[in-house]
Amino acid sequence: MKPLVSGWILALLIFSPGAVSPAQSDATPSRKGVEFFEQHIRPLLAKHCYECHSARKQKREGGLLLDSQSGWEVGGENGPALVPGDVDASLLIRAVRYTDDDIQMPPNRALPAEAVARLEQWVRMGAPDPRTNDSAESDETFADPSDPIAGRDHWAFQPLSIPQPPTVEDAEWPRRSLDRFVLARLEAEKLQPAPDANPRDLVRRLYFQLIGLPPTPQQIEAFLHDPRPDAVEHLVDELLDSPRYGERWGRHWLDLARFADSNGLDENFLFREAWRYRNWVIDAVNNDMPYDRFLLEQIAGDLLPYDSVEQRDRQRMGTGFMVVGPKVLLGNDERRQRMEVADEQIDTIGRAILGQTLGCCRCHDHKFDPFPTKDYYALAGILTSTTVMERRHMLNQQRVMERLVGIGSDGEARDGAYEKFWREFPEAKEKADQAKSAWESLKKGDEKAVATLLEKNKDAVAEIAADSSKPMQQRITAQKSLAEKLAAVIANRPPIPPRAMIATDAEDPADEAVRISGEFDDLGDQVSRGFLQVLTHDQVEIPEDQSGRLQLSRWLTDVEHGAGHLAARVLANRIWHHLIGRGIVRTVDNFGRAGEVPSHPELLDYLASELINSGWSIKSLVREIAISRTNLMSSAHNETAYSVDPENRLLWKFNRRRLDPESLRDAMLAAGGLLDLAPMESTVWNLNDQATGVGKHPRRRTDFPCRSVYLPVIRNDLPELFEVFDFANPQATTGGRPETTVAIQGLYLLNAEMVMDAAEATARRILDRAPEKRFDLLFSLILNSEPTSAEREELESFVQQTRDRLQDDGDEKAEIHAWTMTCHALFASSRFQFLE
Amino acid sequence: MQCGQFLHSATRRDFLRNSACGFGQVALAAMAGQKAFAESTATGGALFPKAPHLAARAKRVIFLFMWGGPSHVDLFDPKPRLNQESGKTLAGKDVGSDRETMGELIGSPFRFSQHGESGMWISELFPHLSQHADKLCVINSMHTEGRAHGEALLRLHTGQANLVRPSVGAWVSYGLGSENENLPAFITISPPRGHGGVQNYGCAFLPAVHQATAIGSAELPIAEAKVSNLANDRWNPKLQKSQLELIQSINQKHLNQAGADQRIEGLIASYELAYHMQSTMPQVMSLNDESKSTLDMYGVGSEPTDNFGRQCLLARKFAESGVRYIQVSTNYTWDHHQQVEKGHIAESAKVDQPIAALLEDLDRRGLLEDTLVLWGAEFGRTPTVERGDGRGHHPDAFTMWMAGGGVRAGLTWGTTDDFGYYPVDNPVHMHDLHATLLYALGLHHERLTYRHAGRDFRLTDVYGNIVHELLA
Repeated sequence: MKPLVSGWILALLIFSPGAVSPAQSDATPSRKGVEFFEQHIRPLLAKHCYECHSARKQKREGGLLLDSQSGWEVGGENGPALVPGDVDASLLIRAVRYTDDDIQMPPNRALPAEAVARLEQWVRMGAPDPRTNDSAESDETFADPSDPIAGRDHWAFQPLSIPQPPTVEDAEWPRRSLDRFVLARLEAEKLQPAPDANPRDLVRRLYFQLIGLPPTPQQIEAFLHDPRPDAVEHLVDELLDSPRYGERWGRHWLDLARFADSNGLDENFLFREAWRYRNWVIDAVNNDMPYDRFLLEQIAGDLLPYDSVEQRDRQRMGTGFMVVGPKVLLGNDERRQRMEVADEQIDTIGRAILGQTLGCCRCHDHKFDPFPTKDYYALAGILTSTTVMERRHMLNQQRVMERLVGIGSDGEARDGAYEKFWREFPEAKEKADQAKSAWESLKKGDEKAVATLLEKNKDAVAEIAADSSKPMQQRITAQKSLAEKLAAVIANRPPIPPRAMIATDAEDPADEAVRISGEFDDLGDQVSRGFLQVLTHDQVEIPEDQSGRLQLSRWLTDVEHGAGHLAARVLANRIWHHLIGRGIVRTVDNFGRAGEVPSHPELLDYLASELINSGWSIKSLVREIAISRTNLMSSAHNETAYSVDPENRLLWKFNRRRLDPESLRDAMLAAGGLLDLAPMESTVWNLNDQATGVGKHPRRRTDFPCRSVYLPVIRNDLPELFEVFDFANPQATTGGRPETTVAIQGLYLLNAEMVMDAAEATARRILDRAPEKRFDLLFSLILNSEPTSAEREELESFVQQTRDRLQDDGDEKAEIHAWTMTCHALFASSRFQFLE
Repeated sequence: MQCGQFLHSATRRDFLRNSACGFGQVALAAMAGQKAFAESTATGGALFPKAPHLAARAKRVIFLFMWGGPSHVDLFDPKPRLNQESGKTLAGKDVGSDRETMGELIGSPFRFSQHGESGMWISELFPHLSQHADKLCVINSMHTEGRAHGEALLRLHTGQANLVRPSVGAWVSYGLGSENENLPAFITISPPRGHGGVQNYGCAFLPAVHQATAIGSAELPIAEAKVSNLANDRWNPKLQKSQLELIQSINQKHLNQAGADQRIEGLIASYELAYHMQSTMPQVMSLNDESKSTLDMYGVGSEPTDNFGRQCLLARKFAESGVRYIQVSTNYTWDHHQQVEKGHIAESAKVDQPIAALLEDLDRRGLLEDTLVLWGAEFGRTPTVERGDGRGHHPDAFTMWMAGGGVRAGLTWGTTDDFGYYPVDNPVHMHDLHATLLYALGLHHERLTYRHAGRDFRLTDVYGNIVHELLA
């Protein structure tokens, strides 16, 4: 704060308290007065004064509060700030006029003349103020929640603090700095962290956390027998280097990117090329592409320079992010569709990257968060200046569909030829039909029909055929040859060329108008393209001939002048959420005022700073958290801690977690030796353009032995296991998947063929072993642990009894079936489904 | 297996311990996310029967969905002038439109007559249903948005099209819970797979337990439809039972070791419910216990009524068993862009007798008074011609009807212009219908909200007016 503050106090000192009598303003201000206050004065005070003069901010510079009537009545350390009715006697007015060197407010910049005039008018009116003495501004009555300047006070929009890891009593416990933040909170509550997990639980945990797969019996043994003190670090590094890592952590991003292989909504047209974006994400995560670059390529990859066609294509594929959203495709007004597409993109970018619900301000200023409608349309202008839809061939028609571009050096030519073929197809087909018909008419000697056709389309009748002076046979031959030629043209359908879904800049980038109540055809004021004011600390110019996507993606991670600090907080929190099971901010997609506040604010800022300092390396932060003591704790229950903190907000133990459907399936297939780890490209090639058609249309396949991340994600027709076990809803950004426990999950595990097939394959592997080794292998393969003697006995007796019963029923394969039922039971057990 | 067998009280919370067979509810509810669990501890389960906001006229809904869009001017909204001017061009000004022309009119080939004491107009295509005219409350002034099926289907089922929202049945399940602990609260029989597919019976952000359980899909004969994973052909029931005992024993030991863990508790309870569902669902779905006269009444065993007859009969059985919201869908067969006459004769014949039988059967069993039957589609069809002898999509005006559950029987509500193009009197928007439907169930559409992503959502968004005149 500038020394002007002291000037303010000085001024108060100079003024004798007696000179300004604490005149009581009208006890019940008139309605007109209140209206004037609400409309002009409250927003003004909130925007320019509350930061230093409000109870809510716990700021009382110069002893003055301006967020209640009594605040200015009592005034600062030496007297009232206003004299109702007397403009010139009012200190506040003198300060805002900026004419007196000793007293100038607000300290950094004078108010616009209009605002000063309003304040003067208010004082002349007798300073009507409906804010009673005990109702100083609270969050609920906050003048204008969408005010972007006042909104900078919200914790999530403040610059990152650089917290020092606190000192702790138990200096032995922390392995990494981040552990100190966790331990300090526990110590403050007189709680103990849980002991370390046993090594078998730990190795299982790390494998599922980092690569989404169970460790093999050999991998378990290798870890258990690793004598190095930093065995955990070695294991974590090995897993982070595995290509399997990107398949797990790339999927976390795909949840946010609402990735799918089909449109969903009204018409579930297939996204035949979406898999390229899916694999682009997996590769980028495996290569630890810095997060700022990762976003840049997804939002504006098509606009970046490149050295080779491969690089151009790769960068373009990233913009699949902008394209894969669901859209209302048929019967939709193109102008409405354009606004809907932009809305979907704003919503996705807002929630996935900034943890903000920007979609709310499409129709009105945000009700909780500092985003006026104007900000929404500033972003909308960028996105409506971006093309993600085009008219092209789809399902036998020219339709407005997702934009595709040919890839490879001849991609454009092949795509062009393909589209041209289909554009011309209806006409070509008609011509071919006519030519054939003319040929048949000639054979029948029906000159009249030939003449009619000739009149309709002279190109459909060969010149010689049309010439009645020529011999009939010659005419027939000529027409036959033309008909065959034309038939060949339409029969020779080009194969679908390799293409990618991408965004490009529109031909005429332009600003958008606000839409009144969000109605696409009800235009309000024009808004310059730009970003969220609350997070914009420096004006960025968007060149007239560009959409502004390039500037937008840079702004998102700009730590100096843009949203970088918020983006870092949101991402660090997501990484914590995926590893630890819950976010430091549990509402991972909502960092707004309606979201939760962080349980460990300093830890969050620390992690976010680490992320930025590492050059936005996601892998580094994953590693840092994975090897922390916090991540190595056991999930053991502790009654004392439970009674203090039943939700484990303070992290006194590891959160026990359910396997997600991808891990569940991959682990079952892996136990049976059925999982093929080779990455897949498209898994929807068997589908028609209608991804969920009825009748003869083929349905999505889920019988590939590949990892689950490659299975088709058809909106409204997910693989059953995904549907049942809470896969991300692919229609919208999902930072935290729901965790449900419902009967259909039980039914699935008890009765689904896939589960029983995996159980049988696992049983066969076990039966290959000598009898005395079988129970160890059973436990190792499925639960990644070893049986206690009681467990062994229980299972032994189950196998034996089941075998006997099956034999009594005349089952010749009683042995394998008994073991299959046992494996099946373990797959269905909570021990398999939960991660300790 | 006895209910509660695996519930060892040591670590279960009191409400679980004491709720005897009611725990199935908790299981099913349990965990529809932490939030729902919090809710379940407070109320006894997300599907635990809940008191409505207001006095309820109906306890459950059966929605008969005619996928594709039946033609209102051929079924319930007779238009003499349309017939007189058939073949002429409809001028926009005649129906209050800015457009110069609206297309060429095509009259209805069907005869209409008045039925019942109320003198309700119904076309000759519904001879069976006509006998129940005094049970119906026909709304001729429906209107909605969405000129293509997909958008209109989503608006019909969820009130929204460009955003994913819970379906009406999911809201009802959320608002009222289930009356049967072994069955879901929301069942959809033969749902469409296209035009939004599962989204039309999904729960969106509501807890998963409120999503419909689907039986078959529209293109499959209902006789072949199954609930997936309900049965296991590999192991005999005795072995399955002993296997489940092993699973639950492992789970219980896990829980004992883990201490208080609601999710393991929920898992244990969910297996109980799964086991019950395996026997309850097939019982309800079996038509073996139905008398021959009942089967005949529904047209089961004869064509063309067999399939829809089975669907309606199933709906009655689910209604009887306490399911809250039951939807029955036709196949995608009402979309007559060509040959509307031939098509409507064929489609009406499939559903007329079964629908009449359903009303009759519900009435006889005393169920009609608290079951609201709703009939309709995503939109109607144009009074103007398409492809020579067909009609196009028409969301601007169409007919839906209700019966039973406290609706004003014998009422024909709302009128359209002389051609059935736009409503002119008492228009009822889809949002209004949703608000009214909830109101009949004792739920106020402005109060039935769910907090998600930082704000309260409701079925009618910011729209919807209750049409009190439709209710008795």
